Amino acid sequence: MWYNYSMIYLDHAAATPMSEAAIQAMLPYLRSDFYNPSAPYLPAKHVREIYEAAKNRIAHAVGAKGVDLVMTAGATESINLAFTACKHRALVLATEHHAVINVAEQYNSTYLQVNRDGVIDLADFKRQLTDEVDFVSIALANNEIGTIQPMAEIAEIMRTVRQDRLRRGVTTPLYLYSDASQAVNLIDINAARLGVDLLTINAAKCGGPKAVGALYVAHGIQLQPVVMGGGQEKGLRSGTENVAGVVAFAEAITEAKAHLQSNRKKYQTLAKIMRQGLKKGSSEPNREANWTPKSPSHTPRPSIIAQIGKKVNSKSAEAAIKLADSRGTGSIPSEQNQSEASEPHDSTAPLFLGNPKHQLASFIPVCFPGIDAERLVYKLESRGVLVSTGAACAANKGTKSHVLAAIGLSDPEIAGSLRISLGSTNTAENVYEAANIIREEVEHEYRRLEGNIHG
Amino acid sequence: MGKKVFLGMSGGVDSSVSAILLKEQGYKVTGVYMKNWSKDLPGMKCPWAEDLADAKRVAVQLDLDFEVWDFEEAYKQQVVDYMLAEFKQGRTPNPDVMCNQEIKFKLFFERALAGGADHIATGHYARTDGEHLLRAVDENKDQTYFLYRMSDAATRRSLFPIGHLTKPEVKQLAASYGLDVASKKESMGVCFVGEVGMKEFLQTYLPSTPGEIREAETDQVLGFHDGAIFYTLGQRHGLYLGGGLPYYVVKKNLSLNIVYVSKNLNYPTLWTKQLKLQDLHLRNLLTVADLASLDRLEVRLRHRAALIPAQLVATPSGCQLTFAEQIKTPAAGQSVVFYDGEVCLGGGIIADL
Repeated sequence: MWYNYSMIYLDHAAATPMSEAAIQAMLPYLRSDFYNPSAPYLPAKHVREIYEAAKNRIAHAVGAKGVDLVMTAGATESINLAFTACKHRALVLATEHHAVINVAEQYNSTYLQVNRDGVIDLADFKRQLTDEVDFVSIALANNEIGTIQPMAEIAEIMRTVRQDRLRRGVTTPLYLYSDASQAVNLIDINAARLGVDLLTINAAKCGGPKAVGALYVAHGIQLQPVVMGGGQEKGLRSGTENVAGVVAFAEAITEAKAHLQSNRKKYQTLAKIMRQGLKKGSSEPNREANWTPKSPSHTPRPSIIAQIGKKVNSKSAEAAIKLADSRGTGSIPSEQNQSEASEPHDSTAPLFLGNPKHQLASFIPVCFPGIDAERLVYKLESRGVLVSTGAACAANKGTKSHVLAAIGLSDPEIAGSLRISLGSTNTAENVYEAANIIREEVEHEYRRLEGNIHG
Repeated sequence: MGKKVFLGMSGGVDSSVSAILLKEQGYKVTGVYMKNWSKDLPGMKCPWAEDLADAKRVAVQLDLDFEVWDFEEAYKQQVVDYMLAEFKQGRTPNPDVMCNQEIKFKLFFERALAGGADHIATGHYARTDGEHLLRAVDENKDQTYFLYRMSDAATRRSLFPIGHLTKPEVKQLAASYGLDVASKKESMGVCFVGEVGMKEFLQTYLPSTPGEIREAETDQVLGFHDGAIFYTLGQRHGLYLGGGLPYYVVKKNLSLNIVYVSKNLNYPTLWTKQLKLQDLHLRNLLTVADLASLDRLEVRLRHRAALIPAQLVATPSGCQLTFAEQIKTPAAGQSVVFYDGEVCLGGGIIADL
């Protein structure tokens, strides 16, 4: 099996295991059908057709045709290519991934502010949309806290500005670009519905292989290639086509799209299990109340796990989802958020970052004020739970997260932040178990800080 | 409650196993990563962030407190600048000796004391009896050659938890505790130039000045070099003089920037029976006279070299060592370390010929 079940993996925002279907789909193109799609003989022509068909399937996921896509070696290349549409000034969300920020630094870029939940400040955005601006980069979903941006509203504002420019005879184009790498398997990424002109998607975050990505390009946008050579991908990305990778991407994204609704429900359910597990033991009664059944007919939480049984399988998630559905999954996150906002904060209670109302269901960014999250990561690793910090860590040379800083977290809060991201390897059981382990280690760390533990 | 120890943790296997042993012995241990250098060099990524992560992982998993102490500025001034100044003088310094004297057993020691330490500890292969610095049990790994300049005060407070173990034993312990660093590649010599080599490091700080390579016997120009200061007596690599028998650096003329080489392994400057020493550091209040009167003084001329007997004589400018047999002349700037049996008595720096 591809996944080591002795570990509980909670970092799907960093990488996902490939889906079995995607692995199987790519194998023939590594073995017998290895031909260069540009070669003149019939077997190669067959491979070319397979490749184009795979591109069409990927394009279908964003509501486009294969010819609208430029396949790239991963999201970073796609981002680099997208920015070549910018000829004057770019507006870039302050919380974009480093892959975007570091490209934006090469252009005349201005950064857009976000609120405490990580959502774009639309008033600030409107103010910044001067006639000089021709490129706006706003990630559909943030990679650290999972915040989903209101793309439709953003697109609408830009549409109005375009019309106004036309009326005034201003000919500067205005393109909306979005990096949707994190969002592919969780929310709608239809380019037309989002209102974007350029869109980055990435196989590695949705069960496909690493280093396979694509850029959707609306008609009429002039891009400059960043990789020159044999002229593949309409000259925009040279290099022999990665047939196996693209076929696997097509398989993964098709699968992800087919399971969009059930995945979201699954992750909402699992996220609730995680959130409640992390709160357990902290002394704030209202936090526990979020999980108290609203009527006596509902089963108390611990028996969710009991009902599901011990085997790790997809049925467990379904059972958990059904149970959560019966409680009205949709309404709870916002209630929870309101209670968090209004209650004074217990010093050891977790502070959930972002707002589940506009957050990828699989993301549980959480801050334990005062704790060194990096210590937690190593402790959890030794207990078989793999999570990521949301913040400064030795591995990234101690640079603190610009995303957490942008949403207004203090340095100690940033240092105490974990990024938990759910995915295909998670079940109600392993999330429940992981939540308990995390809570135990958090409590242990708090006791250590109080000086009650001596190494 | 156990005594408080600050343990220098580098992320390597030796300091990691030291952490385990100290914890098992009931000490209250705080792991400290000394951040001495973090700059990337041409062709080499400085691994400090990975090393720090490795150190922290081990400390955290042992439930130790862990801190990062930043000594970069002091390290640059006390170790790197010293090293560069020595090279500019045509000598071949030993930065590890200086790092131990100035950083690990001085700044680290002082900060640990200020932090309420009963002891400091490192993963060096060495021992103490509470007063004297003693050679490690593993003769092949003994690191007292690098430690001879640590102060007596620091020695009295220092613990070397793995000094009684051999390297294979340490590795085995690491493996038995499931330490990920058990298989980590060892950093050798100057940690931050380990991978790239001293010459490349020096060339980023010191100007290249092309000069002639001449054959010592004939004065014939055989080739050119990037600066005589980058070459060390006895060196045979990096001369790029083509195939055949290797040439050895046998002397340097710094004012004319000429490196003299010879194919003759018995060239007179390559061998000597006497060494002038300066900048002596004698341990435990010993004097040159004390050492001179010893029945059997032994010295180590380089790390891991065998101990050899020598006679010490005081001179107006320092002292002089005399050997019974010819020794391969060590480069000026390197250290000679004195021993009486397992006790390290101190040492000195080899003066210019």
